[in-house]
Amino acid sequence: MKFLADLPARWSNMPMAIVATVALLLLAGIGIILQSEAAYRELQTQETRVQSEILAASVVAALDFEDRASIQAAVDAMRVNRQIRVIGVYDRSGALMVGYGRDNARPPAQFVDPLSPAGAAIVSIAQVTYRGERIGTVYFVSDPEPLSRRLTRYLMISLLVVLSALVIVVLAFGQAALRRANRELKARADALIKANAELEIQVAERGKAEDQLRQSHKMQALGQLTGGIAHDFNNLLTVIQGSADMLRRPGLEESKRVRFADAVVQASARAAALTRQLLAFARRQPLQPEIIDVNELVRDMIDLLDRTLGERIKVETLLASDTCAVEADRAQLESAVLNVAVNARDAMPDGGSLTIRTERVHEGESGTMVALSISDSGAGMDEDTLARAFEPFFTTKATGRGTGLGLSQVYGFASQSGGDVRIESAAGSGTTVTLLLPCSQRTAPIREADEADGTVPHSQGRILVVEDNEEVGDFAESLLRELGHRVTRVRSAQAALEATRAEAFDAVFSDVVMPGMSGLELADQLGREAPDLPVILTTGYSDEIAKTGAGGRQVILKPYRLETLAAAIDQVLR
Amino acid sequence: MKTRRCTCLLVLRFFALAGLVLGFDGSGAAQPSETAVKASFLPRFARYVAWPAGVQPRGGAPFQLCVIGLDPFGRMLDDAASRERIDGHRVTVRRVGSVDRALGCHVAFVEGPAAQETSRMLLALRGQPALTVTDGRAGAARGMIHFTVVDGRVRFFIDEASAAERGLSISSRLLAIAAGVRPRRS
Repeated sequence: MKFLADLPARWSNMPMAIVATVALLLLAGIGIILQSEAAYRELQTQETRVQSEILAASVVAALDFEDRASIQAAVDAMRVNRQIRVIGVYDRSGALMVGYGRDNARPPAQFVDPLSPAGAAIVSIAQVTYRGERIGTVYFVSDPEPLSRRLTRYLMISLLVVLSALVIVVLAFGQAALRRANRELKARADALIKANAELEIQVAERGKAEDQLRQSHKMQALGQLTGGIAHDFNNLLTVIQGSADMLRRPGLEESKRVRFADAVVQASARAAALTRQLLAFARRQPLQPEIIDVNELVRDMIDLLDRTLGERIKVETLLASDTCAVEADRAQLESAVLNVAVNARDAMPDGGSLTIRTERVHEGESGTMVALSISDSGAGMDEDTLARAFEPFFTTKATGRGTGLGLSQVYGFASQSGGDVRIESAAGSGTTVTLLLPCSQRTAPIREADEADGTVPHSQGRILVVEDNEEVGDFAESLLRELGHRVTRVRSAQAALEATRAEAFDAVFSDVVMPGMSGLELADQLGREAPDLPVILTTGYSDEIAKTGAGGRQVILKPYRLETLAAAIDQVLR
Repeated sequence: MKTRRCTCLLVLRFFALAGLVLGFDGSGAAQPSETAVKASFLPRFARYVAWPAGVQPRGGAPFQLCVIGLDPFGRMLDDAASRERIDGHRVTVRRVGSVDRALGCHVAFVEGPAAQETSRMLLALRGQPALTVTDGRAGAARGMIHFTVVDGRVRFFIDEASAAERGLSISSRLLAIAAGVRPRRS
């Protein structure tokens, strides 16, 4: 049924040339058959004529002398040919002498010329003449070969023609099918290319949208960060400015003067801690790594923790004996532990237990590490809080109770130290923060007992101060003079080099970030020119040091206290 | 059913064949007389005979058909001769009483009052290149062609040998329809 329905389409698909070829082939076949038929008829006519002439010649004398028997014999000889239907032999007067007829046919009794032939029969009339005299007439009618026999004869031709036509038609169908398949294939390929192009456009658009979303997230985070910094600093600056204003009042009582001065110092210290934490989160903190035994560090901190967390929280430690030493900044590590512990305390307002655990773990490619985990039995975090826990200034605490920088510091410190930090928590089932720090090949040095400070008198020497910032330079210079040193101050590394060449110094105290030659470059240069001259570097924040370190030199971080500076100078002069 | 139809066809065919045989067997009641047949045959013999070169008629000269002795045909022979043309030559009938006057005859019908007379005349014609014809009813004396009647039809014997002796050549077509032939010695 389908085939039939498709047929018009199939024919329309067939090339005209094929139709023409098949038509030509059929026409040629018909032509051959017709031509053959005509030739055959011609042949039979000729044959009939020859036979009649033979008969005419053989009955000359018999006809002349009315010898019917002889004529009959001659006619009988002709009857062998079954195609001969009628034979009539007439004498010169036209009277029938001998006749023969097959299948109800009979020759006319009297010969008249012309005799009308019967249907498709072949008629031949031969005159019997001898020596110029017409003696009689022979009349022949022969049937053409039966149609069935002729068709049988032409069957071969017909069959060949039909087969050839069939082959051509089949080829044509095949060709048409192939062409159609090719067309469909091309259409599909085109559609595919189009779809692909659309998909690419969509992907590009999606990428753009994602970029925009990321950018907006970044802007949101940046806004939060900036707002947080501004908020905290404004609070601290309010205290500092207010205190400074109070200090400038004339006739201030001594006790009040000390209180306001202390307020300034405390606010400054908090501001410094804030910037340090920010830098730690940004992993721009100039670390001063040393070899630390984590177990020892934890034990040392227990007193501090007990005091910080209060009586309602019980601190437990589970310290593994096989932990290795780590290489990290001690102050930062302590700060990280304290930050996590404070968070734990805030999560347990009604008290609970804090468990500090150390163990040695193997972390795939990172190798052997020390896991320092701090678990609380507090409220835990929901998923949203957990996802944003490391974001700077993100906090769940009430305004003024937390900076939102604690876990940020922990994250920044861990990353910068080549380790990692993980939080496991669920609402209502407590929180475990795990700090992973890589093991160091070196072993922790045995710490000497703290020297009893304050009794040792300060050394005094010639100090070269290199500082491009006028105010900080003035401040440093006045501090050092206060400590009893002789101070020469220059404002660039180049000037410092000239000064050291011209004059002898006991130590160089240099800023790192300066226009032109940096403090680090100056230190390197001095290391070559005057290897014995100690260099102390100071910086608030340095990209260079954060990336490559200070090359083993002592670095004092801004803002620094008088005691810190005095101790550092003292150490190099001794 | 099929067998019955075949039988019918066979019967039909049989009647048809019978009709054919009855209808075309030329022996009707209107058969011309024996003499008339012989008269019509006589001029036609010349058509199948070749005479020596000098005897064959030239130009417009006719073939001469001579009736020597008795004439059993009368006008029938004249009529028959007038209808014949042989290679464009007419046939004329001459009736002569004796052999002496038979010079120039191409065909000579010889019939004496008695068989002996006929034989004598034939003997006398031996010197001439004439096709001699005799009738069986007149006696046993035979010319080159001798009429006879077989099954009620006029037939003839041919003495090719004596014809050849006289330099006459008889066509094989004629020999083929003869009732009997005395062949010439090769």
